[in-house]
Amino acid sequence: MRVWRLLPLRVDDAFYSMALDEAILRLNAEGNSPNTLRFWRWQPSAVSLGYFQSVDREVDLSVAKKYGVDVVRRITGGGAVFHDYGGELTYSVVCKQSDVPSDIIESYRIICGGLVKGFERLGLSAEFKPVNDVVVNGKKISGNAQTRRFGSVLQHGTILIDPNIRLMFELLKVSPEKISDKFISSVYERVTSITRELCRKPSFEEVRDAMRFGFEASFGVKFEDGQLTQEEINLAEELREKYASKEWLNKR
Amino acid sequence: MYYGEFKAPKGVIKVALDKENDRISNIRISGDFFMYPEEAIEDLEQFLVGVKIDRESLLRSLKEFYTKKKVETPMVGPEHFLEAIMRAAIGGGA
Repeated sequence: MRVWRLLPLRVDDAFYSMALDEAILRLNAEGNSPNTLRFWRWQPSAVSLGYFQSVDREVDLSVAKKYGVDVVRRITGGGAVFHDYGGELTYSVVCKQSDVPSDIIESYRIICGGLVKGFERLGLSAEFKPVNDVVVNGKKISGNAQTRRFGSVLQHGTILIDPNIRLMFELLKVSPEKISDKFISSVYERVTSITRELCRKPSFEEVRDAMRFGFEASFGVKFEDGQLTQEEINLAEELREKYASKEWLNKR
Repeated sequence: MYYGEFKAPKGVIKVALDKENDRISNIRISGDFFMYPEEAIEDLEQFLVGVKIDRESLLRSLKEFYTKKKVETPMVGPEHFLEAIMRAAIGGGA
């Protein structure tokens, strides 16, 4: 059975997290990093923006500043995500393009399939909802974003454990009535979390272990615990500057 | 700038543009859609500068862009970008 690398659960800031994803992607494409799965939490909590999103149109930067929430642009498309340190786990998978279907939606199906199996292991009945969501009881529990560059694929996504929904919508410019109780309750009809569905809050490690199992089953691989290489660390340090820059944030 | 947005089957396309003599003179496209390769969005904006603002000319340009650049935008197509651009063109300020 093919062996992929699993990195230890990390806690990093937004800029380093995004830099690390890109570093592993680039080095995987060059043949210097193995296919990799990793999990991390964001400290401080952060909003990540999709590559094509306009920061001014999507995020209330004064609210972000008030709560000490970082804002970072991803290299992947899709929507803005609130990564709550206390209630959200993020994963990323990097592999060769040849390890997933070339059809974009089918490749999401395979990778999100790992999450579906992971949620099932936690006792939840989940399903993939194209293009890039995983739902439980019809409500979104995970959003995902993928890019393909240099011959490799990076997919990262959010696993909602127990996020602060009210803060999420204070940060994101959704609509004028966004923080009304009526709007919040409509969000609860569309978005859910592991804690809400299970009626208990699992630890980050428990969720990580379930997802690891799910990805092994979905990819048909075995994960072996590994560490970052010095080359990955060096490249991530370098790329961090881009992600922390005003130019990158205000690109759109 | 003129601004408009359109909700496509996957994502909201947001367009801000300037026009001169019924042609696009400057355009910024943003939103929560996906486009592969990502950098093609800049090429698309360039490609649209100078195009006459009517549905036919715009759709022809958008389709030509898709064919030329081999871009993929899951569950979003040239017709959705067209709608967003038209809404911006007839819409109010940004």
